[in-house]
Amino acid sequence: MGAFGVFGLCQIHAFVDYLRSHLNKNQFDILFRAVISTIAITGILTLVVLAALGKIAPWTGRFYSLLDPSYAKNNIPIIASVSEHQPTAWSSFYFDLQMLTFMFPVGLYFCFSNLTDENIFIILYGVLSIYFAGVMVRLMLVLAPVMCILSGIAVSSLLSTYMKQIDEVKVEKKKQRFEGNYFMRSEIATLFVCVMSVFLVMYTLHCTWVTSEAYSSPSIVLSARGHDGSRIIFDDFREAYYWLRHNTPEDAKVMSWWDYGYQITAMANRTILVDNNTWNNTHISRVGQAMASSEDKAYQIMRELDVDYVLVIFGGLTGYSSDDINKFLWMVRIGGSTEKGTHIKEHDYYTPAGEFRVDKEGSPTLLNCLMYKMCYYRFGQVYTEGGKPPGYDRVRNVEIGNKDFELDVLEEAYTTEHWIVRIYKVKDLPNRGA
Amino acid sequence: MRGSRYLLLAVLVVGVALGWCQGELNKDLVNKKIERKVDITSQVVKIATKITLENSGAAPVKSFLVALTPEEKEKLSSIIVQSGGSVLKIRETKVDEHPDVAFYKVDLREPLNPSKTVNVEVEYILTHILQPYPASIQQGEKQLVKYSGNHYVLSPYPTTTQTTTVAVPSPNIESYSRLKPTAHTDTSITYGPYESVAAFSEDAMSIHYENNSPFLTVTRLERVIEVSHWGNIAVEETIDVLHNGASLKGPFSRYDYQREHNSYSSIKSFKTIIPASAKDVYYRDEIGNISTSHMRIQDDAVELDLRPRFPLFGGWKTHYKIGYNVPSYEYLYSSGEDYLLKLRIIDHVFDDMTIDELLLTIILPEGVRNIKLETPYPVVRLADSLHYTYLDTVGRPVVSLTKKNMVEAHIQDLSLHYRFPSLLMLQEPLLVVLAFFFLFLMVILYVRLDLTLSKDEATESKMRVSSHCEQVHTHHEKRARLYEKLEEEIHKLKSSKDVAQSQTTTKKIQASIKDETQFINDLVGKIRADSTDYADKVAELQKVDKALRECVVQQLTNVEKLVSGKMSKQQYMDTDNPLHRKKEEALERIKSLLSAI
Repeated sequence: MGAFGVFGLCQIHAFVDYLRSHLNKNQFDILFRAVISTIAITGILTLVVLAALGKIAPWTGRFYSLLDPSYAKNNIPIIASVSEHQPTAWSSFYFDLQMLTFMFPVGLYFCFSNLTDENIFIILYGVLSIYFAGVMVRLMLVLAPVMCILSGIAVSSLLSTYMKQIDEVKVEKKKQRFEGNYFMRSEIATLFVCVMSVFLVMYTLHCTWVTSEAYSSPSIVLSARGHDGSRIIFDDFREAYYWLRHNTPEDAKVMSWWDYGYQITAMANRTILVDNNTWNNTHISRVGQAMASSEDKAYQIMRELDVDYVLVIFGGLTGYSSDDINKFLWMVRIGGSTEKGTHIKEHDYYTPAGEFRVDKEGSPTLLNCLMYKMCYYRFGQVYTEGGKPPGYDRVRNVEIGNKDFELDVLEEAYTTEHWIVRIYKVKDLPNRGA
Repeated sequence: MRGSRYLLLAVLVVGVALGWCQGELNKDLVNKKIERKVDITSQVVKIATKITLENSGAAPVKSFLVALTPEEKEKLSSIIVQSGGSVLKIRETKVDEHPDVAFYKVDLREPLNPSKTVNVEVEYILTHILQPYPASIQQGEKQLVKYSGNHYVLSPYPTTTQTTTVAVPSPNIESYSRLKPTAHTDTSITYGPYESVAAFSEDAMSIHYENNSPFLTVTRLERVIEVSHWGNIAVEETIDVLHNGASLKGPFSRYDYQREHNSYSSIKSFKTIIPASAKDVYYRDEIGNISTSHMRIQDDAVELDLRPRFPLFGGWKTHYKIGYNVPSYEYLYSSGEDYLLKLRIIDHVFDDMTIDELLLTIILPEGVRNIKLETPYPVVRLADSLHYTYLDTVGRPVVSLTKKNMVEAHIQDLSLHYRFPSLLMLQEPLLVVLAFFFLFLMVILYVRLDLTLSKDEATESKMRVSSHCEQVHTHHEKRARLYEKLEEEIHKLKSSKDVAQSQTTTKKIQASIKDETQFINDLVGKIRADSTDYADKVAELQKVDKALRECVVQQLTNVEKLVSGKMSKQQYMDTDNPLHRKKEEALERIKSLLSAI
């Protein structure tokens, strides 16, 4: 296919050359422009017509939210719920880029001071990508290369300016008459170069540290320090996924919040309902509704979706804070954002004072929803911390409000060593008359 | 006479034929005494029978038979018959009168003479014969299993007296069949002694008891051994493990598992023992390293405490890989170009293990010939194949074999003889050397070849000009340095006032400057052939340089005059200042010209 395309291109190129040899320059230019503009206009028109007819997908919400940062928040909660889609904080800029943050404008200055085509490209690239990176954290990736280029320009221009001053000093002494003289030129230049070197060394150290601390440790294996300084490894995710892989039927369908979709597909090799390709918004919303509903309502949804296992992430025992209870409000919002979920209202999950709490004060809707029950099933008996009552949640730092309950439609199928992943099996419909 | 000879022959033939038949079921043999020990404490059943055989007939007996029930035959993993500390030869056979009984014919070391006795010991191991009953239990329940056997020792010969002792793991016995006399202690049940038992006596024995020992089966073990003559043997085992005890019914509660410690039959971890010289041990599966394992290095072995990612309950399974390297000198023996590889067919996976199916693959170095395999027990050898990895040309020969239903008794060495020309060791390094040689050769040729179809005059002349311009730059730099020297000389002259000496040096320097200038002049001609534009610039440079030189020379003569007193200080100052200005202008001009060239 590729070879065929190249062959076609060669034909077109040869044809253009042939035309060029038979026409004079003016005629050729006219012809060339006419053909190119016709093609472009037809292309754009086709795209517009197809988009209007709904044959091709229009721009996605993510794209709109790039142009208008408030778009997602108002219209599609699922995009706003992703932590990568949050606006970038300054601390995050500094954490990722360190001195590049300050070198960026300097580089821009040097580009402006010598406006060639290349530099204009770099300026445009830099300015646009810093805007996009400011809208979404994940677009830091787009910003990274141009940051490096611009800062490189800045550092190199500054250094070459000052290095010259140190360098020529010896020669110049004899030729002092030929050039203007600045106060302590060589000393200041040396100082500047030294400071710059220190900055560069610090930058290298910072980068190495960031890479090793933040970007190298797999987020799937968590680690903590014990009281005696030893390393404790929480390998619960892989434990659960491997259990699913080998001890559930091969065609089992697993319902979990979409964050874990790809992980389950890859590591557990099981079918999931929703995954990190958040394209199917209504489906994700349906899962959100199941998680936010009471057990009987959830059971109907789970039967409808043909679910065999339900998987939740729970950090209450270990203090792992990015668990499903902390994400739960997003599930409620996303669940309530579609037509089928209009009965799910965010304010039902708050206390009258407008707080999101899992202790005795918490709203009864929350304390009886499926997500709450799955996370805290039998947790009420567990002593997590000395001097605290049983069922003390170490993430929310409260004693849970609803302790002794049984599950009617689910049964615990597996819970990992540190309780981070809990898997429930959906019970079959009860026999009639039983 | 002739007829009688035929008769003799006929008698002999009949006699041999009869003797063979009688060897199958020798009515003369009697089991004087049988002591049987049945060990049902673990998941495998180990039966050790001590038999005192007596020859009650008139002829010496060379062999005897061991009988097993069809059920036992089906579950039989290994059988060994010993007498006086040495292992006897054994082979399977059939007896027409008893088609439903499995027989093994055992050759005695020396024929048993009439009315003599011999002690033999029959040991065999049965797997998967203990049935969990009930077949599925809840998390907190204990695992009960059922053993079905025979109260009597199944023997083709009549028995005078026999006893059976069954070792049980705990005093918790639900029920056991009684054939009097029986006795029961905490850890054993004794049946017998039974007197005068007829041949082929059977009476169903059944024991229903608690057995919480790990019921762990390796459903498939793939063992790959890669031999390198560079000194390393790599072993990798891919293991599928199934807990085939009573399966878990209902939910698994982590709370109960952690707080109540009542999951009796579940398996949290097990020990694997690998050779003491094992290095670079890894324990992983499809999704990466399994972080829950410990390794202890002991004097005679490396002990791995393997913990699967999750505890194994009845019916749960897992899959993992374990691999390590061992030095080849411990397992590979050689004499000239003949080699002998001696290593274990299987290794220890866990205590009282059962392996349902083994696939052993031995990958030998490339170029190995005359492979001969010897195994201590029969295995199914699969067709040899080839394995390709880095830098292989004809492929590495692979010997593979398979066997079903193995236990610890099968941890024995195999011997693999083969021939390997030692020169072939150099094949791979040479291959790399040659490959790089050809790569460099190609590059050398490519760089030297001119593959252009038509010459591009414009670029070529541009390149020529630029190379000439570079030369101009170097020559000019030399010239500039000479000027500096000249100036230094002028300064020196001011202080030393030695006109004669200064003149010799300055003359020399001036000559060199002229040389450089001449070089550049030549270059101007060359450049003009390609680009008049650049040639003009260089010519301009030469012109300015000439002015500069004149200034410097003028300064020099002025200083000489000043030193020799032909000029007053005031006069010198007056002439020198405009010269200085001129010089600076010239320098400035040269700078801008140079940057343009």
